[in-house]
Amino acid sequence: MVGEAARSLRISQVGLRGVVGAGMTAAHVLDFASAFGTFLEPGRCVVVGRDPRASGVMVREGVVAALLACGKDVVDLGIAPSPVIQHTIRRLDAGGGISIGASHNAAEWNALKFFGRNAIYLSTAEANELLDIYHLKKFNFVEWNQLGTLLTDYHALDPYLEDLAAVYDFEALRKFRVVVDCCSGTSSLALRRMNERFGFQFILINEKMRGVAFAHEPATNKDMVALQLAPLMQPLGADAGFLFDADSDRVAFATEDGAAISEEMVLPMLADYLLPHGAGKLVITNVSTTALVDEVAARHGGEVVRVAVGRQAAIDALSTYRPEQIAIAGEGTGATMMPQFRFIYDGIASMLALLSMMRERDARLSQIVASYPKFSILKGQVPLVTHRIPALLASLRERYPDGRASVVDGLRVDWPDRWFHVRVSQTEPVVRIICEQRGDAPRELYGTLIELVRSFA
Amino acid sequence: MPRREHLLKIGVSGIRGVVGEFLTPALACSFAQAFGTYVGGGRVILGRDTRTSGEMLTHAVSCGLLAAGCEVVDVGILPTPTIMIYVAATHAQGGIALTASHNPPEYNALKLFNAQGLFFNNYERAELLDLYHQSDFHQAANEEICGVIPDHDKAAKLHFEKVLAHVDAERIRKRKFRVALDAVNGAGAVTTPGFLRDTLGCDLEAIAIDPTKVFPREAEPKPETLGEIASLVPRCLREIGFAQDPDGDRLAVIDETGVVLDNDDVLALAVDAALRRLPGDVVVNLTTSSVIDDVAAAHGRRVYRTPVGEANVVETMQAVNAVIGGEGSNGGIIFPAVHLCRDSYTGMAFLLDRMAETGEKISTLAARLPKYYRRYGKVAYQHGRLGTLMQNLETRFPAAEKDRADGLKLLLPEGWIHVRSSNTEPLLRVAAEARSQAVVEKLYAEVLGLFKG
Repeated sequence: MVGEAARSLRISQVGLRGVVGAGMTAAHVLDFASAFGTFLEPGRCVVVGRDPRASGVMVREGVVAALLACGKDVVDLGIAPSPVIQHTIRRLDAGGGISIGASHNAAEWNALKFFGRNAIYLSTAEANELLDIYHLKKFNFVEWNQLGTLLTDYHALDPYLEDLAAVYDFEALRKFRVVVDCCSGTSSLALRRMNERFGFQFILINEKMRGVAFAHEPATNKDMVALQLAPLMQPLGADAGFLFDADSDRVAFATEDGAAISEEMVLPMLADYLLPHGAGKLVITNVSTTALVDEVAARHGGEVVRVAVGRQAAIDALSTYRPEQIAIAGEGTGATMMPQFRFIYDGIASMLALLSMMRERDARLSQIVASYPKFSILKGQVPLVTHRIPALLASLRERYPDGRASVVDGLRVDWPDRWFHVRVSQTEPVVRIICEQRGDAPRELYGTLIELVRSFA
Repeated sequence: MPRREHLLKIGVSGIRGVVGEFLTPALACSFAQAFGTYVGGGRVILGRDTRTSGEMLTHAVSCGLLAAGCEVVDVGILPTPTIMIYVAATHAQGGIALTASHNPPEYNALKLFNAQGLFFNNYERAELLDLYHQSDFHQAANEEICGVIPDHDKAAKLHFEKVLAHVDAERIRKRKFRVALDAVNGAGAVTTPGFLRDTLGCDLEAIAIDPTKVFPREAEPKPETLGEIASLVPRCLREIGFAQDPDGDRLAVIDETGVVLDNDDVLALAVDAALRRLPGDVVVNLTTSSVIDDVAAAHGRRVYRTPVGEANVVETMQAVNAVIGGEGSNGGIIFPAVHLCRDSYTGMAFLLDRMAETGEKISTLAARLPKYYRRYGKVAYQHGRLGTLMQNLETRFPAAEKDRADGLKLLLPEGWIHVRSSNTEPLLRVAAEARSQAVVEKLYAEVLGLFKG
């Protein structure tokens, strides 16, 4: 049986993530950042930023030391949203960057997210190379007179916002009355600046960045939207409400009538908005995302490409198409990437796209949500002994022979109006079960699946 | 190419090595985390000299200290004595200076200080080293992690105030001394020009005061490396010249004629200045000149001798409550009324104060000291032969009074011989001193003959 200790640190293709102290230590940070400094091509600088977690300062010190020792000049943005870090990598034509922060995880966690030359997450091949260097621990430390220099850039926000303003009509969008739950994270930096500089009317709650205890769990899901944000909508007379995670790469929302909307809705709505706008007809998502995406894509003659769950599969899929073929890529967690922003998970850009949709359709947010057919989704998880997973998947397939099966990631079975997906989590020792149905929730199917999976535990 | 084992040394004096392949950021971070664990969290002062690796190591050490739950006060580039004084004055839990002192620029090291702002004593060092090797560090959770506080302005002022309390600053300022300085582009480049010009009212001609540049000369301030400042002093009509090492703890002095004074004589002048002000005894190492005994005797004071090494001198100074101490050959003046550490600033202030008080030239003050002649050198030996060599030496001088505290020191009627083995390599360091050049040459040649024969 896997204990708590095994869940406090994860070193994988996605990078380094852990509970600081209990799992993730200064030594891990130094070695991983040294591996990244070794992995990058020589020459260009590296952009570094962090979310407000208290441990971020410790991690930053280690990251900076390792990169300088590898001969990299480091540009430190201080506390900054991940999309701003990525934007700065491109603006400075940097060799790459590191975002320090565990985005939607609780405050005691931290993580290193690595970006490559074009500010995109590393491909699986690159991530594997980085991991190999990390494990080999043979780093390219330079001589005493070749060491990098530390520079700071505390004004990276403005150029980022100017680029957003070139895509979205700020003049029109600022008329909306928008409430934002910043959940003690970095989004307040960007939104406050948008109020100051561009005359937006964001009303911010949980605005003060906090290092220790966040205002609530920084996850962008329906429950968290319902917690503080949704009840404020009507009393404040707001047009829309948005919730960001700690590093502002994900978003969830509430409608003007106070309804907390499922995070699954962000991707299909943005697909609906973007497909008619551009040449791109592809929607890239994973096998666990709502079937509403397929329905929306079909309306606009688009096509859905479904890949395995996780950031890595999405990044690899993106690289197999030309950018102009793609309308949007994203997952059901509220993380979406749009071609206008060269495929960066960006919660702020996602929010602005939803507001633009409201303006162009001259519709209230609740009206847009109501315009889609109703799908109901149920999600659950069961702890499982790892070695019995193949038998479980085989048994599930035999149990439901009439559906269309996909084995891209675990097992997904589709019927015309419902589907289920059973897969092993990449982050926790559990099996995740998701099923969705047009109309009411598929409680019977869900119950059977849970029971079947449990019988293998 | 030096031998590999010397490119990194982790031992009771901390961690020192060539930056890059050997002294890595991970190593510095781990050592700092061991230190942070050992001092039990709390505030730690962190400073450095001007070495190019200082910035990188500052971040590595900060990372380790923060990970151990310490709060880091980053004082930036400052002389080591200034950092040590600041640790004590601010009631921090400890301090770290990133400096390899007089070693070449590719080296760096962590110097570790306890809550009193003193080097760890031998027992503390051994404990810390065990902790480091056990890797049993405190791993602070998110809510225990503090921040880094930049604090670049206060420490130097505090240090200077402490020094000024022991000289007559007004009479120094009145003289408007014409002074030269070579700060080797080290930590002194940041604070010494202000000290001499603004605090002591000198007319300053300074070289190597750019902390962003590399060391323009060998880092150790010894006569053969100080050619530029030595020629500048008479050319620019300076009354005295000062040369520091990169972390500002050691001092060399050039007289108005351009002669680099013997470091033992500089220490003797400082001992004289201190004993004129305060009652108490003197502590120096076994290799320091007998001129110190003469100066102390003139004040009716006693001299204690210790094994070579700043830590040894300091430990005895604490034990006997000494007024002043030091190590002649390497330019270290330790005056506990300011702080129990080598401090070039106390040295500069003492000499200027004596010049102001007496109205004498520095060459005249030095010439008044009893004259001794010294020879230093080193001889390689084979491992396993050391015992025999030392016994031969003893047999050769049967009548000599012997001191075995550090190698062997033979006290003869006509002078003394001190032979000790290096801690780091199979080398014997030989020193001899006598009242005449001929005698010291004879003693030195005899020792060398014994070892080579």
